[in-house]
Amino acid sequence: MSAIRNFCIIAHIDHGKSTIADRLLERTGTITPREMKFNQVLDDMDLEQERGITIKLHAIQMHYTAADGDTYTLNLIDTPGHVDFSYEVSRSLAACEGAILIVDASQGVEAQTISNLYLAIDAGLEIIPVINKIDLPSATIDTVKGQIRDLIGCRDDEIILASAKANIGIDDILEAVIRRIPPPAGDPALPLRALIFDSVFDPFRGSVVYIRVVEGTLREGDRIMFFHTGKPFDAEEVGVLEMKRLRTGELAAGNVGYLIAGVRDVHDTKVGDTVTAAAHPAQSALPGYKEVKPMVFSGVYPTNAEDFEDLRSSIAKLQLNDSSLVYQPETSTALGFGFRCGFLGLLHMEIVQERLEREYNQNIINTVPNVEYRVTKTGGDVVLVDNPSTMPPLGEVAMVEEPFVKAQIIVPVEYVGNIMKLCMDRRGVYRNTTYLDPTRADITYEMPLSEIIFDFYDKLKSTSRGYASFDYDLLDFRESDLVKLDILLNGESVDAFSCIVHRDKAHDWGKKLCGKLRKLIPRQMFDVAIQAAIGSKVIARESISAMRKNVLAKCYGGDISRKRKLLEKQKEGKKRMKQVGRVEIPQEAFLAVLSMEDE
Amino acid sequence: MPSLYVHIPFCQRKCVYCDFYSIETVSLMDSFLDALETEIALAAPAGEGVSFDTLFFGGGTPSLLAPRELERIMRSFRSAFVIREDAEITLETNPGTVSPGKLRDYLSLGVNRLSIGIQSFDENELRFLGRIHDAGEAARCVGLARDAGCRNVSVDLMYSLPGQTEGEWERTLSKALALRPDHVSAYSLIVEDDTPLARMVSAKLVSPNPVEAEASLYERTMELMEEAGFEHYEVSSYARPGFRSLHNSAYWSHADYLGFGPSAHSFWRPGNGEPPLRWANVPAVSRYCDSLRKGGSPVTMREEVTPAQMCNERIFLGLRSSGVDLRGLGDEFGLPADRLALAGALVDDGAAVLEGGTLRLTARGYMLCDEIAARMMV
Repeated sequence: MSAIRNFCIIAHIDHGKSTIADRLLERTGTITPREMKFNQVLDDMDLEQERGITIKLHAIQMHYTAADGDTYTLNLIDTPGHVDFSYEVSRSLAACEGAILIVDASQGVEAQTISNLYLAIDAGLEIIPVINKIDLPSATIDTVKGQIRDLIGCRDDEIILASAKANIGIDDILEAVIRRIPPPAGDPALPLRALIFDSVFDPFRGSVVYIRVVEGTLREGDRIMFFHTGKPFDAEEVGVLEMKRLRTGELAAGNVGYLIAGVRDVHDTKVGDTVTAAAHPAQSALPGYKEVKPMVFSGVYPTNAEDFEDLRSSIAKLQLNDSSLVYQPETSTALGFGFRCGFLGLLHMEIVQERLEREYNQNIINTVPNVEYRVTKTGGDVVLVDNPSTMPPLGEVAMVEEPFVKAQIIVPVEYVGNIMKLCMDRRGVYRNTTYLDPTRADITYEMPLSEIIFDFYDKLKSTSRGYASFDYDLLDFRESDLVKLDILLNGESVDAFSCIVHRDKAHDWGKKLCGKLRKLIPRQMFDVAIQAAIGSKVIARESISAMRKNVLAKCYGGDISRKRKLLEKQKEGKKRMKQVGRVEIPQEAFLAVLSMEDE
Repeated sequence: MPSLYVHIPFCQRKCVYCDFYSIETVSLMDSFLDALETEIALAAPAGEGVSFDTLFFGGGTPSLLAPRELERIMRSFRSAFVIREDAEITLETNPGTVSPGKLRDYLSLGVNRLSIGIQSFDENELRFLGRIHDAGEAARCVGLARDAGCRNVSVDLMYSLPGQTEGEWERTLSKALALRPDHVSAYSLIVEDDTPLARMVSAKLVSPNPVEAEASLYERTMELMEEAGFEHYEVSSYARPGFRSLHNSAYWSHADYLGFGPSAHSFWRPGNGEPPLRWANVPAVSRYCDSLRKGGSPVTMREEVTPAQMCNERIFLGLRSSGVDLRGLGDEFGLPADRLALAGALVDDGAAVLEGGTLRLTARGYMLCDEIAARMMV
C-alpha cells in the first residue's frame, strides 16, 4: 500500500489538464505516443473532445519507477472541470490523497480553479501546484506564482514549472506525486468499505462501478452490498483500470479499480455510495454521500409524436451512464408526450441534449429551461414547481420563492464595470470585491439561479472579451415578485412557451418573445395573433397575416409525378412542425427564448 | 377518357422561361418523324379495345409541322388506335409560325382545337420572354384560326412578369378577351431551374415578382375572367361553358394516357389488378430516334404507382381542378379523420365548398392550392 499514490488534477478549462495527463501516461509507459489517437486520451467521448472539457469522471492506473528506484502504482482520477458537476468532483477528490493544481502561466487563477481547489483542501488533499505553458511568450510566471502563494500559502520552490507541450517538468510532477502525496491508509483486514466515485454502463455487463477501496479487500465471488440502496450483488469481476479494464480478481484497501456485479440499474450504483460486504457489513457508510439534486429543468419531447417510446428508451439508456439526470413523463398540449428532465446545470442540460441527438439519433425539441420554484398557496400549502405550466393560478399564489446562488466572478479590473452592469441586469445583489493581484478582481454577487441559466455565461464572456471566469454555489430560496407569463396563439395558450419571470421584466420579455415568434412562425392559411399574457391580462401582441398564395401555376403536362414529389416535399416540411390548434409551429420557435438577448 | 399525347420537340427559338424539352435543330425533324411512327406502331397493342377521346400535339412548337408532316403523324395514330370521330384534337400553335393555308390544312387533317401561345400583348414583355412573334401577329393568329374554321380556340397568357404592374397585365388580358377566345390558360411566370430566366435571376439581372404582387395579379385575373363569363375550372384554366380542355381534364381526373415523342409521359392502368404505371421517354431527340431505330425502347423512367401515391395524386389533381371526391377517396383508400376536419375548416374559411362529398376550392382556395394539397395528402 505504501507504493500506491491516488491523485487527481484540478484545472480550469484549457489550462492543460488533459495534455499534462497525456504526458504522464506517456512518461509512465502506460501509453506510447503512437497509441495516442488524439492528443487527449482521458476524454473519450466525442463531445468531450469537441468541447475540450471533461464531462464524466474516469480513472487510470500507471506504474512508475521513481528516482528512489522503487516502482509505484499511480492512480490518476480525472475530475470534471465544470461547476455543474461539483458533487461528482467532491466524490472523486474523496478518492484521492493528493491533487495536482494546474494553472495556466498566462491566464492565471480562475474562478473554477478556486472552487475546486477549496473542495480539495476541504477534503484534506495534498496540493501540488504546477504552472503550465511556461514556454509561451505571454507567460507571466511571477504573477501567477504570487496568486498561487496567496491561495494555498505554499513556498515558491514548491511550485513546479511545466509545459506539457514542450515536455518540461513532467518528471518533477511525477516525483512530487511520489514524495509529497501520502500513501493511502486503511486496513485491508477490516470489513470492506469502498467509495463509488463513478459508474458507466456496459450493455453486456451492466453497471461498471469505479471504486476506491478505503478499508478491507474486495474479491471476486464476494457477496457485496451497496450501503444506501441496501441491495446485495455478487462481485463478478474486479480489476484495475489501465488503458482497458485489467482483471485482477481482487482490490485491497488503498487501491482504485472497478467492480462488475451484474447490476442492471445504474441507480443501484450511486456516486458517493459505499460498497461493503453483505455478510459482515461495515458499521457505517463512508461520509459525504448525498442525493444529487437537479437545479435546471426542461421538457424534452420527440419531434415526431410516434417516436415517444424510442425517446423513452434512449433517455433510460443515457441515464445508465449519467445517474445525475432525472426525468419523468409529462404531457404538453403543444408538444404531446415527453419528459420533464432535471439537470445539474445548463451545461449538463446541453450535454444530455446533444448526446440524445448524436449518440441515440433522437430528434428532440427542448423547452425553455427553468429552475424549481417554491410556491406557497393562499391556503398555506407549499408546492414545488419545476414546470411553468404547473404553476398554480395567479389567485391561488401567496408567495413564490426561487433559488439564489452565490456567484463568484474573476475578471481583469478593466471589465469590472461591465460585469457589475450585467449582474445588476440579472437582479444580482452585490456582496463584495477582493483583488487576487492588482489587475484581477474577484467579485461576489448573490443572484437568482434563473437569471444565470439562460445565457449569462455567454454574456459574461462577451462583455469581458473572454476573460471573466465564473462559478456559483446554491445559497437558499428567496421570495421574489415572480409571475407566470403565457403565450397565446389565436387565443390558445401554448404551454411549452410559458415561463416564470420577474414582474419587472415581464413586459419586456413578453414583447421580445412575441416579436421573435412573429419571425419564426411561418405564415399560415389564416391570420395568427400572438399574445403574451399574465393571467388574463395581455401585455404584448404581434400578428402574422395569412399566407396569400402558395400554388404553382402549371402542372407540367403529363408529368404528374414531378408535381406529386414537389408536394410530398412540402408535406414532409410540415411534418417537422408542431401543431397547436390549427397553428403550425416550427421547432426553432421552441428554442426562441434561449436566444432572446440576440436582438 | 383515354387520351393520346405527342410531343413535337422543336422550336425555332427557345423562350427564356420554358423548361419543357425542345431543341432548335429543326433539321432532325425527318428522323424524329420516322422514330415517332415506329413508337406509335409499337404501342398499338396497348390501345387495343380502347377508343381515345383526345389527342394533343404539344411541344416544343407543334405548329412547326408542315401539313404533310402532320398528315403522316395522323395517319400513324389512326392506323394504330381507334380515335373517336368527335375526339378533341388540339395543336399548340405559335403565332410566329402560321399562315392561313397552314391552319386550314391542320383543320382539314382533323385538328379541331388550336391552343395559341400568345403570352402577352406588350412588345417589351414579348421580347423579354424571347417570343418569336409580336403582339400584332398574336392577335392576327386568333383571327386566322377563326377564318380557317376553328370553333375551339384557346389562348395562353402569362402574368407576373418581373416588374409587371396590374395595369399592364389587365391590358394584355383585355386585349386577349377582345379576341373572344373560347378558353384561356393564364399562367403566372415560374422561374424554373436550368432555364435562361433562372440564370438571369441568379445573376441578379432580373428579380422575380414578390409573392404579394403575384397574389394580387392572380386574384385580379380570377375576377376579370369570371366577369367575362368564363368558368374557372383549374388553377390556371378558364373556359366558356362547354369549352373546357378535355385533354388536360383527362390528366387531372386520372384518366389513362399514352404519350409519344421525346420527354413524353404516360399513365396507364394495365388492368387485371396490376398497379397503374407511369413512364417517360428520354428527353433527347437523338437518343429517342436511336433507340427506336435499333428496335429498343425510348423509355427512361418507369414506376408503379402505389395506392398511397394514387391517393395523393387524386387529392392534389382534384384540388387543382374541379374537386376531390372525398367520399370516393375514403371508400377506396381510407382517409384519416383529420383530413375531413381540415376539409371542414377550409369550408368555414371560404377556401372551399363541399358538394355531395366533393371538396372543390374557391378562388380563395386556389390561391393556396399547394398548401392545402400538402396538408390533405396522406
